[in-house]
Formats: sequence, structure tokens, C-alpha cells
Amino acid sequence: MGTISLEHSSRLYWLGRYTERTFRTLEALQGLYDKTIDDTAAYTAYLAAFGLPDSYDSSTAFFHCFLYDKSNCDAVAYSLERAYDNGIVLREAISSEALSFLQIAKDTLKRSEHAENILLSLLPLKDTFYSFWGCIMDQVYDEEAWNLIFCGKSMERLMLSLRLKAPYAEVSRIFQKLCRRLRFVPEGTPYRCDPERLEKLTAYLSSETGYNMHTAQAIHELERIFEVSP
Amino acid sequence: MTHTEIRQAEEAQSLFTEAIGNAGEINELLRRYGVKFGIYKNGVFKEQFFPFDPIPRVIPAEDFHLIEKGLVQRVNALNKFLFDMYHEKQIVRDGIIPEDFIYLSKGYLAQCEGITPPGEIYSHISGIDLVQGKDGAWYILEDNLRIPSGASYPLIARELTRIACPGAFAQHHITDNRNYAELLRDTMEHVNCGGIRAILTPGRYNAAYFEHSYLAELTGAVLVQNDELFVEDNKLYQRTYNGGKTQIGVLYRRISDEYLDPLTFYPGSVIGIPNLMEAYRSGNLGLINAPGNGVADDKGIYYFVPKMIRYYLGEEPILQNAPTYLPFYDEDRQYVLDRLDTLVLKDVSEAGGYGVVFGSDLTKEQLSELRDTILAEPRRFIAQEVIDFLDLPILDNGRTVLRKADLRAFVLTGKETKVWASGLTRFSRNPDSFVVNSSQGGGFKDTWVLSR
Repeated sequence: MGTISLEHSSRLYWLGRYTERTFRTLEALQGLYDKTIDDTAAYTAYLAAFGLPDSYDSSTAFFHCFLYDKSNCDAVAYSLERAYDNGIVLREAISSEALSFLQIAKDTLKRSEHAENILLSLLPLKDTFYSFWGCIMDQVYDEEAWNLIFCGKSMERLMLSLRLKAPYAEVSRIFQKLCRRLRFVPEGTPYRCDPERLEKLTAYLSSETGYNMHTAQAIHELERIFEVSP
Repeated sequence: MTHTEIRQAEEAQSLFTEAIGNAGEINELLRRYGVKFGIYKNGVFKEQFFPFDPIPRVIPAEDFHLIEKGLVQRVNALNKFLFDMYHEKQIVRDGIIPEDFIYLSKGYLAQCEGITPPGEIYSHISGIDLVQGKDGAWYILEDNLRIPSGASYPLIARELTRIACPGAFAQHHITDNRNYAELLRDTMEHVNCGGIRAILTPGRYNAAYFEHSYLAELTGAVLVQNDELFVEDNKLYQRTYNGGKTQIGVLYRRISDEYLDPLTFYPGSVIGIPNLMEAYRSGNLGLINAPGNGVADDKGIYYFVPKMIRYYLGEEPILQNAPTYLPFYDEDRQYVLDRLDTLVLKDVSEAGGYGVVFGSDLTKEQLSELRDTILAEPRRFIAQEVIDFLDLPILDNGRTVLRKADLRAFVLTGKETKVWASGLTRFSRNPDSFVVNSSQGGGFKDTWVLSR
């Protein structure tokens, strides 16, 4: 449509990334919470996957920090705040309706901090994000804007899946989805990917063996996918 | 409370049972939709929810009819005055308004001399503050012709209140106010010089950012900041992310005149657009509202608005000003000095409820100091009789109490001048205060205009 500014394109992309990061972090932590019922040290594997040190006295301290600590850039609360920061300046592009789900998410997360059963109290948060994305699909008529949000979303999902070493079949599906979205990004815009880097990434992720052998390289290329290769 | 006031509070309690009962739900919905305003305290930006009172101000149809006629008349006269100010200044030549009130006004911008905006409209969106006296008469308190804010609050409150309290709307005959976006869009289109509609915001940390973004969403305008705009060949463009540009034909700017164009006004402005005034001067851009309107909404010029109505329209003013005195005139100055302890004094250069002093609140020493200041700078003040406002019922911790309130009516001028059948009713939460500004802790109500 030609009225997306540079600033807006960045906000749209990062809105997609931060909402997905909030959602996937939450999902990962819920799974981890379940594991710690049987093994109180299960959370350490999660820290290791991201190369983070274990400086927590207990799993309770770990979960509190990764769910609610807004100063921890790996926490759900941090990502949600960044998603909101991007959303609030996009009201006219994404609709008040979609933005309202981010406010609901913030309120739900805040309330859950003092809940007796954290897992139960966090369930509505996932519903809220599904509603948010549904609302984006329904309310955002500008296909370029819509695509930028979902490019960010797919990018984040692939990044987290690679870091958490998700099963190949899942990674492959997510990668295909990302490729479809990247193709719709117009030429000459900041989120048009570098074809050489995409080619390398495709080579790493085209087989399970390649994925297992080159996960680190795949992450490296993905992080720089919008930069022109030297 | 007087017997009448107690009756008023009881009536409100029974009439708006549903709204009162659902006050929590309505405020929760307003939170959900991010109805906030920003405030700076000690240099720190804080975003807070705007306290909403569920008991509406109700204006009977016949009252609104009178208000509507009076406001259309007033705004039309003010637009004619602005055209005159930046062209012939005939009203000054004819001795109706002393030139001191034009050239010494901070709102007069010499840079706007000779510019004729599209349609000769200067004030497209006028926010006129009124109060109702206990005798039922409406008085104009202030004209806001620069960038009056606040329409979005009753607009979204109505949308959400209808969800929370459908019964209240089924019972009463209330004019639907949800046409504001349509009125605004038409107003913008009327002065569109070719291109898209845009709303210019200083950014998220502006007190009224919610309003900027909400109105952009409702009118289908693009919300822009200065860093994505540029002027080329005397036309304003938005830079797009694919390296292209889109022409803007009308800009509803929500930043003050002095910051609009660093090459014309304040050179240190980092939120303005260089050469914006050239695009405007060349007739390639409609600017809402026109720069330089401050000369007409100066508190000093307020005194002269009834005279303007007679001068430009040849009509008697339908709505009255609050009784006002200008210490600039010898006769008025003597009256003001004699009755200083009973009047309200307003510094003409202040806004937002600041610079307002009630003589009755001052000590002997303070009164003497104020007297000296008035004598030294008579042009700086206006004095008004304290109007015995009609207090409005508000809900305070489940109890209905009476508080001071005003009404900001919105008047939009495009092809014709129209009054929005609603408005922002602001109230003081402090029982001893007359100051209703949100920046000073006030809340807001919806304004229901009855259709019959």
C-alpha cells in the first residue's frame, strides 16, 4: 500500500517477534514446570540451551525470574513489555481490538504472580495470544503490514526452535513457513532477506543430518538473514 | 450539601443505577483499551488511566439546541477574526480591539501574515469550554483553537458504556455520539490539498498519545512522526520503507505552533518538519488547525469575542462569556483592585488550569503583591466573577457526591460548522477545587445529549 514507514516496518516486525517470544517462552516454561514436579533440577537444561549460568537457589526462584522479572531479558514479562511497547505505537495499524489483548496479557501475567497455582493461572495467557493473532489476521487489511508481523513471528519461532534443538520435523515445517513469508517481502525494504544467506540456511536445514551437524551455523545465518553477505 | 443538591445526587443515583452498578466493569474495559494519558511529574513520564465517572452529564435537547447555535456563531466569528488578523486587521483599525491585544499576544505569529489557508478556515477543530451556572444558564469559559484535545475519551467511553449498560441507552433517548470520526474525516477531507490524511504526533510520551493513535485508527489517517516526513518542491511527503514517498494532503498536527517548523519558528525544535510552512503557504497542504490561532484563544482576547460576533456577523451573541474584566482598561482595573478578594484572576499566558488564582484564597500580603503585579502588568491578567457552577454528581467510593465540572464542546468546521452532540465533561475530584484539568487530577464523564 506504500504508507508503511521505516519506523512502522520495524515496529511491525518486532511486534511479531516479541509476541512469539513471549508465547514460546511461556510454553517452554510450562513444559519445564511440569518436569520439575519429578526433577527439581530440570530447569538447568533450559539455562544450558541458552548458555546462561545457573545462579538460582531453587526452581521456584528460577521460574519467578523467568516469568515475572522485567529486568531479565529472557523473561516472559520482559518480552511482553517489549511487545506492548511496539503494539502501542501501532494502534491505527493493528486496531484497538488487537492492542487490547496485549493489555489483557499484561494484566493476566501480573495477576498470576500471586496465584496459588501458577500453571492454572497462566492458561488464559495462551488463549489471549491466540486471540491476539486471530485479531491481527482479521483486522489488519494491509497485506504487507500483516506479512511483516508474521515474518517476525516465524523468525522468532525458528530461532527458539533451533536454540532449544526442537525435533527436525518441527524445525523443517517452521522454516518452510518462514520462507513463504519472506518471499512476500517487497524488494528494497529492510526485511527483504539476503538470497545468499537464505541459500546457506536452506542447505543446513534441508535434511535431518544437516540440521544435526550445522545447528550453530544455521543460527548464525538466521541472525544475519537481513544483512547483505560480505 | 443543600436540599437541592441532595435531591440531585439522589436522582442521579436512581436514574443511573445500571451505570453505577457497572462502574467497575466500565473502568476495566477502559483499561483494556488503553485509555490513558501521560503526565510528567518531577521530570518523570508516567502513564495513567483517566478516571471515568459512570454518571453522565445529561443535556436536554432544548439546551443543546441553544448551545449548538451559540457555538456555531462563536466559532464562525472566531474564524473571521483570524482571517482578519492575518490580513487587513480591520477590527483593530476600527478600534474594536486595541492592538496591544494582538501584537503583545504570544499566540500572534507574524510568520503567518498573509497566508490564506484552504477554505479560509483557521480553526477546524475548536474546543470550547463551558460551565452551567446554578441558574441553568450556560457560560463560555474559554476558547481552545490551537490543538484542543479530549474528544476521544467520551467517544470510547460511549462505545464501552453501551456494552456494559445497554439498558441505560434503551431507556433514555440519547443522541449517538459515535460519529465524531466521520465528522473529523470530513473536516480533514474538506481542506485536503491532494494526498493522504495524516495525524502528526510528537510520539508515545506525549500526554495525549492515546487520542492521537485512536483518532488515526478511527479516521483511517496515517499516524506519523516528524522523522518520517520531509518537504520537497513545497509538498509534504511521508518516506516509506521501500524507499518511496507518499504525498500528504492534510495534516492534523498535534504539536504546538512553535515546534512545527524549525526554519520558521523555534529553531531548536527536534519534533518539527523543516519547510513545512512553505508547503502550507504554497497551498499544497491543509494544516489542522492553522498555525497562529493562539491570537484568538488568548485569555485576554476572550473578553472581545462578543464584540467580534457583533462586528463580523452583525448578530447578538447567543452564549454569554463569564463576567470578565480587563485591568488593561482604567475602569475595569479599579473595579478589579477594589474587589480582588472576590474575583478569580487568570494569567493570560498560562494554560491547563495553571496561573489561576482565587482572590478569596489569598492572604492580605498575597493580595497586596497581586495588586502590585496587576498595576505593573495590567495586560497580563483578566479577572472574572466566580460563577456559582452547577455541581454534578459523581461516584466516590460507592457514594454519590457533588463536584465542580465543566464541559468541553467540540466544534468542527469544514464545509459548514457543526457541533458534536456530546463533549468532554471534566470534573474535579477535590471537593474544594474548581480546577478540573486531567493534568491536575481531574476525571471525566460522558456527555449525553438527549434527542428529544
